[in-house]
Amino acid sequence: MDAILNNAFVQDLIILAKPALYNIYFALASIPLGFPLAVLLALAKNKPNSWLRKPAEIFIYAFRGSPLFIQFFMFYSLFLAFNQSTWKPLGIDWLVMSPLFIGPLVLVLNTSAYSAEIFYGALRAIPKGEVEAAQAVGMSKWQSFRTVTWPNMLRLAWPAYTNEVVFLFHATALIYFTMPVIDRQKDLMNKAGELFEKDYALFVHFSAAALYFLVISIAIFVLFGWINRYLNRHLSTSKPLSFKANYLR
Amino acid sequence: MIEMLPEWLLGWLGEDGIATLNYLSNGKHVAWYASVKYTFIAAFAGAALAVLFGLLGAAAKQSSFFILRAIGNTYTTMVRGVPDVLFLLFFPLAFEQSAEYAFAYWRCTPEEIATATSWPLCQAAQWYLGTTEYLIMACVSLGLVYGAFAANVIYGALQAVPKGQLEAAQAFGFKPWQVFWHVQVRQMWVYALPGLSNVWLLLLKATSLLSLLQIIDIVAWADRLGAPNFLPMAGLVHPDWRWKYYLALFVFYILLTLISERFFKALQARVSRGMVRAE
Amino acid sequence: MKNTWLIALTLGAVFAASPTMAADTLRIGTEGAYAPFNYMDDNGELGGFEIELGNALCAQMERECEFVVNEWDSIIPNLLAGNYDAIMAGMSITEERKETIAFSDEYKPVDPSLYLAMADSDLDFANLEDANIGVQGATIQAGFIEEKYGENNTVKAYETSDQALADLAGGNVDIVLADGEVSRTTADASNGMMELVGPEELVGGGIAIGLRQTDTELLTAFNEALDALKADGTVDDLLKKYFKLEPVFATDEASSEAETDSTE
Repeated sequence: MDAILNNAFVQDLIILAKPALYNIYFALASIPLGFPLAVLLALAKNKPNSWLRKPAEIFIYAFRGSPLFIQFFMFYSLFLAFNQSTWKPLGIDWLVMSPLFIGPLVLVLNTSAYSAEIFYGALRAIPKGEVEAAQAVGMSKWQSFRTVTWPNMLRLAWPAYTNEVVFLFHATALIYFTMPVIDRQKDLMNKAGELFEKDYALFVHFSAAALYFLVISIAIFVLFGWINRYLNRHLSTSKPLSFKANYLR
Repeated sequence: MIEMLPEWLLGWLGEDGIATLNYLSNGKHVAWYASVKYTFIAAFAGAALAVLFGLLGAAAKQSSFFILRAIGNTYTTMVRGVPDVLFLLFFPLAFEQSAEYAFAYWRCTPEEIATATSWPLCQAAQWYLGTTEYLIMACVSLGLVYGAFAANVIYGALQAVPKGQLEAAQAFGFKPWQVFWHVQVRQMWVYALPGLSNVWLLLLKATSLLSLLQIIDIVAWADRLGAPNFLPMAGLVHPDWRWKYYLALFVFYILLTLISERFFKALQARVSRGMVRAE
Repeated sequence: MKNTWLIALTLGAVFAASPTMAADTLRIGTEGAYAPFNYMDDNGELGGFEIELGNALCAQMERECEFVVNEWDSIIPNLLAGNYDAIMAGMSITEERKETIAFSDEYKPVDPSLYLAMADSDLDFANLEDANIGVQGATIQAGFIEEKYGENNTVKAYETSDQALADLAGGNVDIVLADGEVSRTTADASNGMMELVGPEELVGGGIAIGLRQTDTELLTAFNEALDALKADGTVDDLLKKYFKLEPVFATDEASSEAETDSTE
């Protein structure tokens, strides 16, 4: 038991446990706002009314078309520019300037843009027959949305959305490269870098961080895979997201 | 150089405008504009390598040997689990350490190795890394990471080539690699293009991370230029202008995305001439 | 085709550039963002106290010198990795750094670090609580602040000193602890916007050149050149030009020699 605990890799895994929580926090803080915002944006992009559609299109284009790294820098420096004039008088500068706030905020904007594009594609792919049937039966707009549009959109978009959530989690690794490190808040990449600076044992530290990312990504895949099966439960040929090894050619 | 502009333009700009133009074209800013070459080199070289690694990975994934299939699958699934930042930081350092390790055993005398306490093991094993070396390693890292994405896309595209053509080629006596290269790969580009254009856009955005590899690229310069300056001897005294510079970079990347999308749309149109597309 | 051409070009550039390994040019690493020690002026050229001193030292040693810009965080690891041969970046001598690198004689005597704050901010340093303190990461000031005020206050570590000062001006931090010279010159140049506050904190040793521990010949060469420049007053002139300090080295040759012996 001691031999296992004394192993450098295992020690790294223990040291990196707390920083991993920061990455998980950033991801978890971004999904509850990012998901609804993405749905709204996708619905807006689908509207024929260009007053609704154009702003959604521009927002999605801007945030998908620029790197997340730059978005972090830009928002931090923008907020800082307003610090003296706006946040401090209102007394909220401790909140607004904190990476724990700016990080999720920028991630929400970014992930909602990518997810909106995914949901928009799903909206376009909803079987027209079902929509027309709902109309024929006499459902109101809201009822047909709840019965036909929403479940279908979610089901069709789910595999791609799973990928997006995993990318979101990977993106949390960038936050502390762009914002000041406050007190002892360190995330996985920061801590791994710090450990590396001390003894240059590159493979050990970075593999430990990589293992955390890999395990949590797999957990996201598995969890979202269950939800995928639930969404497709009414289809007899539901394709589970499974990794099957082809041992026989 | 500003003096070369026509009179009416100078008049319209006014003194402030001319001062701004002069400031925006001083040596430090020109160095910023020039550093965009790193972004382009990393993007194009990275893309070329990504396509190469993608082809290799896809070929491995559909090979008849279990080992190759395993390697291909591990390669493509690995990037789905690990952030590209980690690879970008890890690969150059790993390469450098491995190279210096190899150099140590090649160039150092045994006594030096035995008595060495720090890294590298002896003076002759030093490997000077300048911006060029870091840039090349960045290109290779980007190629490796986005090659995995490309491998997924290319694999799907390879599967989409009509099997009848492959069988016909085999019947003609083509060797397996010839069937692969001359028939399958040749025809899969049109199916791969949408996916590859996505990979290109991701790669383009990943080039913003070059400053993490100690390359003074456009992002690093934006920070240096925008940071407030208090000392007249160090240049113009100005407050924190970083948000302006980062906004400029934001717009720059969106423009690059726009141009890339136009290009790929045109390419797609040209490549699908004569093909019936469900549009 | 374009891509293969670009690859070939890049590879060609690599092979053309790699002979730098064996060159006689002395490469000195600096940060380039720490005015007035070292900074990049509006023409994109490096300038500052250490750039001029470095050039003077190289002239004295009759060697070619080249300054290399490197971020502060990785400046020691890259010295050890061999990207350059010496560090002149406002680096103070500390026991911890002495474990990994060697230092030459100091070219600027130790100077207390000072706190900078916006004008009219009233901070009680005896009972500092809930204040935001800015420092540059991985510096002696960072370690010092962590120990002294870390418990009851928020310490924000930035990548460069410019960013810390920017956040001070923007109100994100209440005080910044930096090298005395940087604080003093910034306060002077800020036209009353910022002022020096609080006690002086003596952290770390004097500023010296950082070298790899295995480069003993280079160390002696630098020390000899430095002694020569101290004796003829060049160092003092530069200290006066950039920091407005009174002459330190040339005044008393005997005591400065004794000093260099003891700091070895």
